[in-house]
Amino acid sequence: MQEDSWVFAIDVDDMVDGQMKPISLDGQKIVLIRLEDEFYSISNKCPHMGCPLSKGTLKNDVIKCPCHDWQFNIKTGQFIAAKEITVTKYSTKVSDNKVFVNLEGGN
Amino acid sequence: MKKVVIYALSTCPWCMKAKKYFREHDVPFEATDYDKADEATQQAIKADCKKHGEEMSFPFVIIDDNAVVGYAPEKYARLLKL
Amino acid sequence: MDPEVRKEQLKEMFLPLVDSLGYKLSPDSEIVDFLFEQEVQIEKEKGSPFCPCQGLSGEREHDMKLVCPCIPFHREHYDAMKRCWCGLYVHKDVEDPDLLPQISLKEFKMSKK
Ligand code: SF4
Ligand code: FES
Repeated sequence: MQEDSWVFAIDVDDMVDGQMKPISLDGQKIVLIRLEDEFYSISNKCPHMGCPLSKGTLKNDVIKCPCHDWQFNIKTGQFIAAKEITVTKYSTKVSDNKVFVNLEGGN
Repeated sequence: MKKVVIYALSTCPWCMKAKKYFREHDVPFEATDYDKADEATQQAIKADCKKHGEEMSFPFVIIDDNAVVGYAPEKYARLLKL
Repeated sequence: MDPEVRKEQLKEMFLPLVDSLGYKLSPDSEIVDFLFEQEVQIEKEKGSPFCPCQGLSGEREHDMKLVCPCIPFHREHYDAMKRCWCGLYVHKDVEDPDLLPQISLKEFKMSKK
């Protein structure tokens, strides 16, 4: 994994537990999610018809699309009703109180 | 003569085939498009499908009191004793 | 939007989804064309491409499970028929979709017992 594929996303303190935030990193639309002290990032584009997942709702580790209620596990990216369908998921890491997203790691 | 009722959707190709089947066999039927019906009719159709223990999947054909859900010519024929 | 364009867009969005579930477009291109046309019309009227062959109840939880492709929410039932209810999508190994009868959910559940 290349060191430079990690992109700075946000300061840890700028997000609270249970918060979702849409951000654009290198032209990619992503939702950042904070669950307790862990950060997750997935594509903001719902695999169904492309609605912005960040406008949906989050319950524990499940995000629900605002358009037709498809639900995805934010830790695996898997669609709850059929795990073969996934939303693109990126790895994240925290270092120095900053959150980084690995854009290469998409999948 | 058996009483035939068809619940359908105006958008459903199998509903059209079902109606065609009864027409071609000279069996009179009473058809309603659920999506074009008024609120009261929709409620009645909903209740009727439920009464038969079925989902609102169309075509929903009722021959006397037997429901056939889906386009199924052999089942229609059996119930009509054709 | 031009309905023909929207038709292609829906197809493009839905095909990868049904593909990953083991389905493909029905080889009956006339039915496929007709159904996508209906979905475009339904989307224009109701805001979402709901199923052209199943009834909406007005309850969100029920109706959202009938937005195309609805296969994930009716998987076992459709897998048993090797087609979705409308027959827009069929299992990948299906060559003659006319041989696939529609089986109601009630029949399917009884056959499982
Ligand atoms: S039954 Fe088929 S056409 Fe109808 S919504 Fe489901 S997947 Fe789409
Ligand atoms: S676009 Fe997300 S559920 Fe349809």
